[in-house]
Amino acid sequence: MIKYNFNEIIALLLSLLILNNLLLIGLNFSDLFLKINLILFFIVLLGFYFFKPFENWYLKIFFILIILISLGTPTYEWDPRSIWLFHAKRIFFDSSIFSVSDNYASFSHNAYPNLVPAFASSLATFVGHWNEIFPKTAFTFMFLPPLIVSYVFFKNVKYLIFISLVLFIIGKYLFTGWADGLVAIYFSLSALLAYLLLINETNSYRNEKILYFIAFTFFTSLTLIKNEGFALLSILFLSILIMTIYKKNFKKNLKKILYLSFAFLPIILWKMFCYYNGIGNDYVNLSFVSNILPRIFDFENYLLISYYLLLNEKFLFSLAFFAVIFWINWNKELFIFVFVNAILYLLVLFLVFLSTPLDFHFQLDSTAARVIKTLSFLLSFFGLYNLNSGKDKIVI
Amino acid sequence: MNNQNSKKLLLFFLIICFLQTVYIFHFRSGFQYEIIKNPFKKNSGVHFALPDPVIEAKNIIKKNKVESFNLSASIKDNKALYQRIIEFNYPIRLKSSSDIFFFLKEEIIPKECKIIDTGEHLFLTKC
Repeated sequence: MIKYNFNEIIALLLSLLILNNLLLIGLNFSDLFLKINLILFFIVLLGFYFFKPFENWYLKIFFILIILISLGTPTYEWDPRSIWLFHAKRIFFDSSIFSVSDNYASFSHNAYPNLVPAFASSLATFVGHWNEIFPKTAFTFMFLPPLIVSYVFFKNVKYLIFISLVLFIIGKYLFTGWADGLVAIYFSLSALLAYLLLINETNSYRNEKILYFIAFTFFTSLTLIKNEGFALLSILFLSILIMTIYKKNFKKNLKKILYLSFAFLPIILWKMFCYYNGIGNDYVNLSFVSNILPRIFDFENYLLISYYLLLNEKFLFSLAFFAVIFWINWNKELFIFVFVNAILYLLVLFLVFLSTPLDFHFQLDSTAARVIKTLSFLLSFFGLYNLNSGKDKIVI
Repeated sequence: MNNQNSKKLLLFFLIICFLQTVYIFHFRSGFQYEIIKNPFKKNSGVHFALPDPVIEAKNIIKKNKVESFNLSASIKDNKALYQRIIEFNYPIRLKSSSDIFFFLKEEIIPKECKIIDTGEHLFLTKC
């Protein structure tokens, strides 16, 4: 009989219930079903806390503290108010994720995916009214599945180092209503699962079917959190393709890759809906070429982007952490995999900044520190993972 | 690594995590004790998150049972005020066809507009 890991089951259930919430709203199910779904979510959460009360207790305490901070923090920052929680408010009052087809208040970027706002709106449905505080905790609850799954890979001191990295790199993004921290953690976990299940052939995780389901839900969630998620999952699939072809095991993994690629389906359907309703994207549109052409040949622009992206103190720390651990414990396969993902993401970021329809300096100043979090967390996360892996693993 | 060192390291990182949480709570969160006392109350946190004219706009809309509203050019030019009034007042919508206009008190109101209500920061008018 196959024995499944407790943390894997909890993470999978929580992740599925978050996705199911979006599905229920999308299919126009009544509030009763949304409330049942949310009750199930809290039952699973209670199961996590009380079924094995002393397992992973660091996370349990840390998470309660973060939820308490979230419940005492007003939502005053720009994107959480104008985009994420406004989407949630619209879903709550309109009882639909499709009401954005009127493109009302286009400043709120109606084409953005709605997984977290849908969850936030269901919290309001559950309580019975909208307010400025508690729906925001949906962003914090969304962190739980990847934080719980991480316990499968890191134990004891390593798990505390992991939490410390989360606090250092993601920090206030755990509770302020921004989606960038979620993108960072979902991408890193997705990348690790992709590496273990499809690329590395010498680990026991490959035999755990539940991890394929978790990978699928994380991939899907990643694309439905923010537009960057779609770009990141595409990068991840490209790197899987490169690595499996390089290792000559592409054919062997083809079925798994095909199965996991269905994670793109919900976001593709959402983007098709937006396209047919004329809801645009500021960055991917006809003005892309006219925006990028005047900037692409000016070397100064590359220096400026590099300055904002790469001289970020958290990125530099993560790079140093990653470099030192790989220097001590060389793992060529893992290094190439992370390197390919990081370089491809950097390329995408350069393209996005060079083609911004907004003022170049304003765009860099307002977003660079947020989007580089994904890369910073990726490097730190895989640095920490490499403490575990390989024959020369560093014992803590 | 022996058990004793492992325990020391565990304690060390526990303290680090605790200090990081305290730092985020104290310096990065904008935490308010007033809010945590009742985070589920309908208007919880409103005064910490929004400028007074925005809250006033909602009160005026509620008092006068306004179904849709419009904003003066001056408010529309103020990106922060414009976006906050729109998102905070939802599901009451801004409509370009609406003849109910908000003006800032320092603005000159056109002659064809009649003042319906006056707040500390805003005029509600019918134009």
